[in-house]
Amino acid sequence: MSHYRGEDAPYWQGLAEGRLLLPRCASCGRWTWPAAHRCGQCGATDMRWEELPMRASVFAWTRTWHRFGLTEGLELPFTSIVAEIDGCGIRLYGRLTDPDRIDPKIGEPLTGAIGATRVGDETIPTILWSRL
Amino acid sequence: MTHPLYGSTAIAGVGLRQYKRGASPLPERSVLVDAILAACAEAGFDPADIDGFVSYGDDKNEPVRLMPELGIRELNWSAAVWGGGGGGIAGAFGIAASAILSGQAKAVVVFRALVEGSSGRLSAAVMAHHLNDHMLAAGVVSPAQVCAIRANRLFEHHGVPRDIVEDLVRASYHHGSRNPEAVAYGQTFDIEALRSSRLIAEPFRLFDCSRENDGAGALLLVSAEHARSLAKPPVYLLGCAQGTEAGWGDLLDNDREDLYATAGFRSVARNLYAQTGLSPADIDVVQLYENFDAQGVMSLIDHGFCSYESAAEVIRFDNLIADGGKLPVNTAGGNLAQGFIHGIGLAVEAVRQLRGESSNPVAGARTCLLAGGPGSPTVSSAIFGNIVP
Repeated sequence: MSHYRGEDAPYWQGLAEGRLLLPRCASCGRWTWPAAHRCGQCGATDMRWEELPMRASVFAWTRTWHRFGLTEGLELPFTSIVAEIDGCGIRLYGRLTDPDRIDPKIGEPLTGAIGATRVGDETIPTILWSRL
Repeated sequence: MTHPLYGSTAIAGVGLRQYKRGASPLPERSVLVDAILAACAEAGFDPADIDGFVSYGDDKNEPVRLMPELGIRELNWSAAVWGGGGGGIAGAFGIAASAILSGQAKAVVVFRALVEGSSGRLSAAVMAHHLNDHMLAAGVVSPAQVCAIRANRLFEHHGVPRDIVEDLVRASYHHGSRNPEAVAYGQTFDIEALRSSRLIAEPFRLFDCSRENDGAGALLLVSAEHARSLAKPPVYLLGCAQGTEAGWGDLLDNDREDLYATAGFRSVARNLYAQTGLSPADIDVVQLYENFDAQGVMSLIDHGFCSYESAAEVIRFDNLIADGGKLPVNTAGGNLAQGFIHGIGLAVEAVRQLRGESSNPVAGARTCLLAGGPGSPTVSSAIFGNIVP
């Protein structure tokens, strides 16, 4: 599976184990996303993956009504969000549990749980976010 | 000191072929050859003397394969702007000019061809650059969704009124309805058609989105001196900038917060104006790539025509139309109402407008800004002029 090979492999491994792991430079303390081997801020190559609680706020969102190819595993409409993870400033793509179709508000607090999205023959782990 | 790009090259000929998506009478390469021959014909230029090509955004027509059909003797330059969206369209002219100014080629065709039966859907090709498991798992698989997410933030966080996109759409259809080559030619556009069109990805409805056509466009760039000896009045390239700044570009939406609800052009616009010594007030007409209307608004803001705060005053129908507006935009109808061949029609209209050949002429227009695909990780813009001011 491709997502276990890249720079962000520990992220996917973490989700598979039920944990949110994100990379932070051990030298300067900066959180980095997308994942990278080298810290562009200080030049160090000492990334540590730290576990964070699945707490976030809504940074941006869209609710999709059109059946785009590769979304067949999701029921329409579905709501995608960019979630800003508490305590690190990293933003992650995710899905919002949105049964009542209430428009998300920017800054609204969220709590996450591990879920999965079926894409073709593959099942990709993801964080499903809910409003507090 | 004058920048080396300033007025030193010029477009001598343009060709455009456009059909309904899936309805091209010819395969993609043949449509492209047709457009190139049309550009050469109006310039009075022998296509055998073309010696360079530049494209952008996943064009499948590798220049060397065009040689036999065009009878080209020698190929000296073939290049493309990196990136999958329409971000590279204006940058392509900078690359073509670089070849000419450095003596590596003499006559360079900038082109883009798109025939669905040959190359598949453009949206899928664009997304192939970006798609990864993070996006797939979130159901974000299309340019429409990627841009919708930022549009929502433009409206909600930055307080730009949602209805100004309607003015941009109406102005596009106003122009398109009078352009015989446009998909909207002869049509009366009622804004209710947009408001009642089906939802795609909030806030976008169908008519907020550009819709693909089959076709091809080609523009012949030569030295300014050479252009003055050819059949059409030269349209000079006055400046061109491509790229972006730190904090923007394929960052899984981790763009710098102040750049997030932009179209990515801030550094490009800054460099373009510095290079040319021109400012937004010197631009007479704009050809604005609008993959989605909200991204068109962001692009106008990035290029300094207005701000988040003043957008509602500037982006008004009356102000955007060729007949009397101070900021005429997309005078052939743009991607929304002229047709969408990955934006190449905008470049063609920039030239026609500056020659006085537009269906919606802007009186006394001297300069035209061409803004590339907004929201792309790499973007570009160029300024053309019918004089070298």
